[in-house]
Amino acid sequence: MTEPVISVRDLTVEFVTRRGTLRALDKVSFDVARGEVLGVVGESGAGKSVTGSAIIGLIDPPGRIAGGEIRLAGERIDNLPQERMRRIRGKRIGMIFQDPLTSLNPLYRVGEQLVETIRTHTDLDAAGARKRAIALLDEVGIPAPDRRIDGYPHEFSGGMRQRVVIALALCAEPDFIIADEPTTALDVSVQAQIIALIKRLCKERGTSVMLVTHDMGVIAETADRVAVMYAGRIAEIGPVRDVVKAPLHPYARGLMGAIPSIEGDAERLVQIPGAMPRLSNIPRGCAFNPRCGEVFERCRVERPELIDVEGRQVACHLYDREHQPARTGEIAA
Amino acid sequence: MTERPFVEVRDLRRVFDVSKPWLNRMLERQDKQFLKAVDGVSFDIRKGETFALVGESGSGKSTVARMVVGLLPPSGGAVSIDGISMTDRAVSQERQRLRRRIQMIFQDPYASLNPRWRVGRIIAEPIRAFDVIQGEQAITARVGELLTLVGLHPDDAKKFPHEFSGGQRQRIAIARALAADAEFIVCDEPTSALDVSVQAQILNLMRDLQERLGLTYLFISHNLAVVRHMATRIGVMYLGRLVEVSEGKRLFSDPRHPYTRMLLEAVPDLAMVGKPREGVKGEIPNPIDPPSGCTFHPRCPLVFDRCRVEAPAVIDGVACHAVNQGRAAA
Repeated sequence: MTEPVISVRDLTVEFVTRRGTLRALDKVSFDVARGEVLGVVGESGAGKSVTGSAIIGLIDPPGRIAGGEIRLAGERIDNLPQERMRRIRGKRIGMIFQDPLTSLNPLYRVGEQLVETIRTHTDLDAAGARKRAIALLDEVGIPAPDRRIDGYPHEFSGGMRQRVVIALALCAEPDFIIADEPTTALDVSVQAQIIALIKRLCKERGTSVMLVTHDMGVIAETADRVAVMYAGRIAEIGPVRDVVKAPLHPYARGLMGAIPSIEGDAERLVQIPGAMPRLSNIPRGCAFNPRCGEVFERCRVERPELIDVEGRQVACHLYDREHQPARTGEIAA
Repeated sequence: MTERPFVEVRDLRRVFDVSKPWLNRMLERQDKQFLKAVDGVSFDIRKGETFALVGESGSGKSTVARMVVGLLPPSGGAVSIDGISMTDRAVSQERQRLRRRIQMIFQDPYASLNPRWRVGRIIAEPIRAFDVIQGEQAITARVGELLTLVGLHPDDAKKFPHEFSGGQRQRIAIARALAADAEFIVCDEPTSALDVSVQAQILNLMRDLQERLGLTYLFISHNLAVVRHMATRIGVMYLGRLVEVSEGKRLFSDPRHPYTRMLLEAVPDLAMVGKPREGVKGEIPNPIDPPSGCTFHPRCPLVFDRCRVEAPAVIDGVACHAVNQGRAAA
């Protein structure tokens, strides 16, 4: 195994507010290998987007990285000065946001924005950059790119705009792309096209992607591995097939059961009682313990670490064989 | 079924004038422009069932919902609920009595509750407006009952909406809809602003209430999986027209209209891990200038000459020439 493109260790992000310090990310660790798509799921406030912002160095004050480290191809990037980070951003780490309208400047032609980005990150001259921009638009599936390049963002439909944003992210051929809810603002038929596009590009270019979304269906089809987040922590991380089909963590199990499917015949959806805790009030021990159906004493006191279980990692005391042999047997059965 | 359906929608139409201002039209020599948001939609809803409308944005499903409850006057066609016309001026007295039996739940629970009112007042508003119960004490008791019914606490009546999460707010909106003993509830994307685990809670609650109170729902959603979970019957809309109406589960096991098939093919689903899928072609055309004939024909794999000229009527639940002529292999 070669070195992972992105390696995050014990990443902690805090927001200092008047009412105290809120911990949005609490010791999050994961790796993304070359060419791999890592899906990150969770409900609002679970810390999905903050993870992306932390990696790209765009956490707004009062937020700050309070601990841990982020490595891009082995090199530490979480403590770089602004100016150096700015050169990595866009060039080595690309970003695709949810709303394509806010990622594009409405006053500039699409081509101008692409050319500007290409020239910032490469040595191409104006003509070369334009040629490259047309090639990129063609690659992301925009018909007649040599004409559309001179259009304004408002002349493009939602799906086409998101394609432009993807082209923009690809300009400098980054090693790693963070896609934060890239299909949430789109209709299903267009969503499927964008997913297929992201998948194809990763394969062809060997780009790694961190795909942040609340839509498990999108993850199930696009990602190689998936991380389920809850209250700023990773509850379970592993190959997508395992985590989606047979989740281990009680929260992940509840989450998968709560999603209506177009196949299968669940008369009732699984209901997780209660709601996710506020960041100001995260329970002691396991953050999920007040809502968990299988809670026991240890969960209320000690925070579970990620442990290796059946080819993936789970942060749950139920699977800690050394301390709870009886209970693990019960669950496995 | 010899009984008359509870809700009858016949050939409903709505045209929006999207012209530029008069001066611009004169200077640029343009004609008025009209957008046919809903173009001849007909369906029935039986008492106690959930009828769902699905479609992508711009397909006209929300416009249908707003016309059914009377928030938007139709440009043509008729809606009648329990035999009383919502569109005929002659029966306005009866319609006034009918109004209290119809309620609506909106998509955004942050926008649909008045932030300056306490929850108790929000829920009591329909009770007072329709004069259902008299006396402050009785109203307070009823509000407490309604809050319990939707899984909240009677004491929550004293709080303001901002003290609640999105899911709890949607429960408040449901309590308000039920306050005047509504029988028919139109839900416009009731869970699309919610997280999945909260969505599951609200969908389960809506089904429980339907069972207990015999409610009839018109359920609008773009999420096919949610619709499959909730609906007794489903209507699929495309560019203002109903292209297919089918029994709930059958739409998924035996989709007939090529658009429905494409839509089902496109939905990302948990069951699809690692399976290859067919690509979806094209996008919804501009509704101001829709294609001639069947509006789906530029994207349709089964297109033939007739589709480009003649708009298909809904025959046996499907509006498609190819299906009706038996050219679509099942």
